[in-house]
Amino acid sequence: MFKLAWRNIWRNKGRSIITIAAVMFCVIFAVVLRSFQVGVWEHMVGDIVANNFGYLQVHQKGFWGDQSLDLSMDETTLDWDAMENVPGVRSLVPRLESFSLVSTGESNRGSLVLGIHPEEELSGLRLTDQLIDGRLFAPASNEVVVSEGLAEYLHVELGDSLMFLGQGYRGASAYGQFMVSGIAKISNPELNKQLVVLPLETAQWMYNAMGLLTTVVVDLEPNADFAEVKASLEPLLGSDFELLDWEQLFPELVQTIEADMAGGQIFVTILYFIISFVLLGTVIMMVSEREREFGILVSIGMRKTTLAAVTVLENLMLLVGGAVVGMAVVKPVQFYFKYNPIDLSGQMKEAIEQFDFEPKLYTTTSFIINLNHGAIVFVIGVLVSSYAVWKIMKLNPVKSMRA
Amino acid sequence: MSKPVIEVKNLEKVYEGAVPVHAVNGISLTITQGEFTALKGPSGCGKTTLLNMLGGLDQPTAGSIAIGGVDITTLSENALIDFRLRNIGFVFQAYNLIPVLSAQENVSFIMLLQDRPKEEREVRAQQLLEAVGLKGKEDKRPGQLSGGQQQRVAVARALASKPQFVLADEPTANLDSQSTANLLDIMERLNKEEGMTFVFATHDDRVIKKARRIISIEDGKVLSDD
Repeated sequence: MFKLAWRNIWRNKGRSIITIAAVMFCVIFAVVLRSFQVGVWEHMVGDIVANNFGYLQVHQKGFWGDQSLDLSMDETTLDWDAMENVPGVRSLVPRLESFSLVSTGESNRGSLVLGIHPEEELSGLRLTDQLIDGRLFAPASNEVVVSEGLAEYLHVELGDSLMFLGQGYRGASAYGQFMVSGIAKISNPELNKQLVVLPLETAQWMYNAMGLLTTVVVDLEPNADFAEVKASLEPLLGSDFELLDWEQLFPELVQTIEADMAGGQIFVTILYFIISFVLLGTVIMMVSEREREFGILVSIGMRKTTLAAVTVLENLMLLVGGAVVGMAVVKPVQFYFKYNPIDLSGQMKEAIEQFDFEPKLYTTTSFIINLNHGAIVFVIGVLVSSYAVWKIMKLNPVKSMRA
Repeated sequence: MSKPVIEVKNLEKVYEGAVPVHAVNGISLTITQGEFTALKGPSGCGKTTLLNMLGGLDQPTAGSIAIGGVDITTLSENALIDFRLRNIGFVFQAYNLIPVLSAQENVSFIMLLQDRPKEEREVRAQQLLEAVGLKGKEDKRPGQLSGGQQQRVAVARALASKPQFVLADEPTANLDSQSTANLLDIMERLNKEEGMTFVFATHDDRVIKKARRIISIEDGKVLSDD
């Protein structure tokens, strides 16, 4: 039966090649489309979450909602050793973050002020790789690193002084004058417009929050499951703390991703409708061409179910062939654009940046996408093949032989 | 006396329509083992319809067809297909070989459907092709054979299942004189030497001359049976 099916495939090379090509291009288009969509989000989540905010954050209960320094936590109340020993935890990163008006005297802007230990930070805030001018601030110094966008807005250069004015812990005034030691390009556009980074101790001093932290970021080992780590960490924290994962930290981001994915699904579904009709067309052609032969085979003693199985086998071979070739051909494309993203320009760039997203299109190299879309096309093929099965099961051999 | 292979009683086939057509109208006949019978008559007389019903390809409107004692009009669709596979050989006007299979594979195919062992299939297919004068052509596909050669493959295929009889519908209609003569010689030899029963539907005088029994049909009825 396999031999018969195999040879039937090649009896009409044109039809077989059209079928294989249709399946292959459908898989390629669907995979490329989804790879860009997933890749952009993967990169964005990786940038925002993995490199800047972390998959998990510990705060004093209520801090994330209020963003108030009054909901800071005393760093001595945390069991650092126990938390660091949880499997999947690479390190714990202390931060003090608040807002302040930053002024040069001529211009000013409300900014996000982040007190950190750069050497302990997530890769996006380790700053050494992000500096485009100057140097990192000295520990516990009165120096700051300003994000590129903010520096441009305030027209500051290295060595200039910045005035800070804000509200500190428990209503205290928070003010200070700091020298710009470096300018950093932060990959996240939103942060790049408003971030000022300074030593943790300096920030604690300015905000009258000595020994206090607003946030402890849980840096995870590669491939660690944040949900599992979260479940292990929760018992170690008392009821005064909140442990939030990135989906709780950025629900808008999750919703945006879901909405965008749904839009992409609609597009891919339209693509699948088109390919379904292309495949149906080839199956109808095949059945029409071979109606007489089907009649002969049933006449000489081939059961209709066996004949239907051979026909389905033929279609499956074509579909698997097309899907596998499509999945393989698209792989280098996925790798290329993962490491060589498309830079958007013009109005598209501006539109994307308005949403604080990096204007670059990345792909994901996840093979799951290829498998999913290969499988979907395969299922479509099986459904379309049911037309041939239906025609065979209701075949009248005498009429068919007259066809 | 030879045993009956086909027993037809009061067979009728009516095609419904604005004006019902009685393609076969109350035919009764018996064909015994070893016969070399021709059903003759003009186009549209009902001989092909009769042949199709004898082969279980078409259902009669009324009457019965017993093959080897089994009333095939009562069989389910699958049972009828299996019955055809094991008891009836077909030779069609247009050869109707499977184009993607070689001559030997076309002959073996029926035995494959019968679940016969590979070795037996190969040996018997070669023997049958040799018997119809196609030794050396085993690997040729239908497209590489002449019309006469294809029809000989069809005869070998019809015999491969070791049927009780072979039904041949206008087997020489597409053949030239030489091919017709060769084909008829082969079928006559198989009939005489192996006792294979052949029933032809034909209006080809060359076939009719070879037949030992000629049943003339007109307007769906048996006109004469000699």
